Amino acid sequence: MKKRRAFTLSLTLKVDLIIIIALAVGVGAALGALASSLVSTYNRKTEQGVFENANILYTAIESVMLPGQAPLAVTTLTNVSIRTPGTKITLYRRDGTLAFSDNKTIQTVNANLKQEKFQLQDRPAVGPLSPPPRFAEAAATPPSELFFRDDAAGRDFFRAYRPLINLPKCTVCHGSDHTVRGVIDIRSDITSDVSTTRLILAGTGGGFVLVVGLLALVIGSFLRRVVLDPVQSIGTLCSAVADGHFEGRVEPRSNDEIGLLARRVNTMVEGLYERFELTKYVSAGTIGALRAGQEPQRVGRTLLFTDIRGFTSYTERRGAEQVVDVLNRVLDRQAQVIQDHGGDIDKFVGDEIVAVFAGEDGARRACRSALAIVRLCAEQAEEFDGLRVGLGIAEGSVIHGMVGSSRRADFTVIGDPVNTASRLCSLAKGGQILVSQEARESVDAAFSFAGPFAAKLKGKAEPQKVWFLQAEVGEPAGKGDDSGEGADGAGEGE
Amino acid sequence: MRRTSRAPAARVSMMALIAPLVVVLLAACAKKEEEVYATPDYPTWQRTTDIVLDYPIPGHMDRLRIPRMNAIGFSVVPTIDGAKLHWDFPEGTVIVKEVYATTKPAPGEAPVQLTIMVKDPTDQRSQGGWLWLTKDLPNGKETVFTGNFCVTCHANANEPYPYNDKNPNSEFRDYVYFVPKEAAARVQSGGSAKTTSTSEADEYGTKY
Repeated sequence: MKKRRAFTLSLTLKVDLIIIIALAVGVGAALGALASSLVSTYNRKTEQGVFENANILYTAIESVMLPGQAPLAVTTLTNVSIRTPGTKITLYRRDGTLAFSDNKTIQTVNANLKQEKFQLQDRPAVGPLSPPPRFAEAAATPPSELFFRDDAAGRDFFRAYRPLINLPKCTVCHGSDHTVRGVIDIRSDITSDVSTTRLILAGTGGGFVLVVGLLALVIGSFLRRVVLDPVQSIGTLCSAVADGHFEGRVEPRSNDEIGLLARRVNTMVEGLYERFELTKYVSAGTIGALRAGQEPQRVGRTLLFTDIRGFTSYTERRGAEQVVDVLNRVLDRQAQVIQDHGGDIDKFVGDEIVAVFAGEDGARRACRSALAIVRLCAEQAEEFDGLRVGLGIAEGSVIHGMVGSSRRADFTVIGDPVNTASRLCSLAKGGQILVSQEARESVDAAFSFAGPFAAKLKGKAEPQKVWFLQAEVGEPAGKGDDSGEGADGAGEGE
Repeated sequence: MRRTSRAPAARVSMMALIAPLVVVLLAACAKKEEEVYATPDYPTWQRTTDIVLDYPIPGHMDRLRIPRMNAIGFSVVPTIDGAKLHWDFPEGTVIVKEVYATTKPAPGEAPVQLTIMVKDPTDQRSQGGWLWLTKDLPNGKETVFTGNFCVTCHANANEPYPYNDKNPNSEFRDYVYFVPKEAAARVQSGGSAKTTSTSEADEYGTKY
């Protein structure tokens, strides 16, 4: 039961796993690529916007500075920062100090022009500021335009550095002793954009996981209901049948392949049940022969015949119902003893049992069975209504094969030992066990016998040596009439 | 037996199919040999100006510069656009600017840097129609400069600037500060050959 459960869970998990993998690889890859593309496009557009703004500002600042209108650049930067709160524009000198923060540049320009072209401005002193990150790269020679992501105080920024090159036309005012005039720092706050992107990614990812989970659940449930549960029911039924329980059936829920399979399994179980019931009426030897093949074989066997003594007169004294009841009881107990000793009931012939023992110790087991039956009859005399049995044992080569017609046949044994055992059984009185010479030799000293005695058996020209089985060596002798008297006396053999 | 006799033929056919593919693949994977623009004979190229360029300029500061241009560059024929000359150097023009360590290098002293302009508007890396390169002198490797520093500065050649003749008419000089003065004599207008007056060419030339 535990094994079946593990199998079911494993199969369910496998199906769910396949679904999840298929969805993740197929839909997930497409969705991931789409989301990645969207985010990439969104980022690129944002970057492009900031970059274009940087170019426009650079051009504007360059244009106002060339005619000597540097203060206009300050106004431009201030106005841009005011009108676009998310954007902060800062102009740094090449040494990292803030431009227009003092009169240093004005003084340099006036010195280069050798005239007081620009008036000194009243600019409050600004404390030294540390240059922004990566500023040195932008202000190096050759300078580099930089565009990078930056974060500060929990906010995200796109940051663009546009170096202001000291062009030849600029050297008139600013001199030729440097290559980079300064750096324009455009810092655009993209915190909300980043949040949007994260939201898109989280929404897409979460939605995908949800969809995959739901689909896996729905498809898994569907498969469990349509395939796994019926298959499990069929498996359970098969296990029950294997254990000998044929009552169960699978309920077909559909008309598809699984439903058809369920119906066929039900039909199969019904057929198996019929065959199982039939085995009660067939000997184990017959079943074994069916399994091994139906070709006749010559084999060595020990035959045990039992027959109730005085049964004909008994039937005349008792009612039919009681006769059948007692007979079935006596036969059933004997059959049980024979089976307990590894014997095979070949057939019941009226009140007679024909049993076959195979194997090297077949004679020994047959003898033990016979002794046990005699003991049983003595012990159960009241239950058996005083009925007693006579027994005959013979051993030898027999033919095991199908005997009968094409319509009705039995797998049975035929041969001289069969006839001999039958004759010995007929000779034996109630409680007597007659054993042939061959069987006696087989069991050797394991049992005690009385005899031998010469017995004239039907079909035999010469008298045969027969023995009365008394007891197994080491066991007390039974209560049967095993004295050996009257070996030539005839039993009632019916 | 039949299979055995056909197997070599099948192998040959398969090899015939695979071999070209392998060759194509190897050819595609093979590193393209990079072209060298500042060829070993560049020192024999004509200088673009006789002026000693030892005054400080942004980018090179106070280092001596000696620009040389190949013959293709000197074959440039400017056109006249209204009252102004318009310069468009032919494709294949190569200008090599030697940069020395000081303003007065010793005789025979090698330059410390070569900067190169190559007119190749078809190249996707070109800016203003030119490839801007630097040459690593120790290993001879030439590298295209992908930043816009060079082109930004040289764009000033197309408008008035404080050096030489100062380009007072804002001629488009194709990013070249020192255009060959003798080429002004070959000036064309509207696609038909037109020679400017000698006096005009001389006047132009005297500005260097």
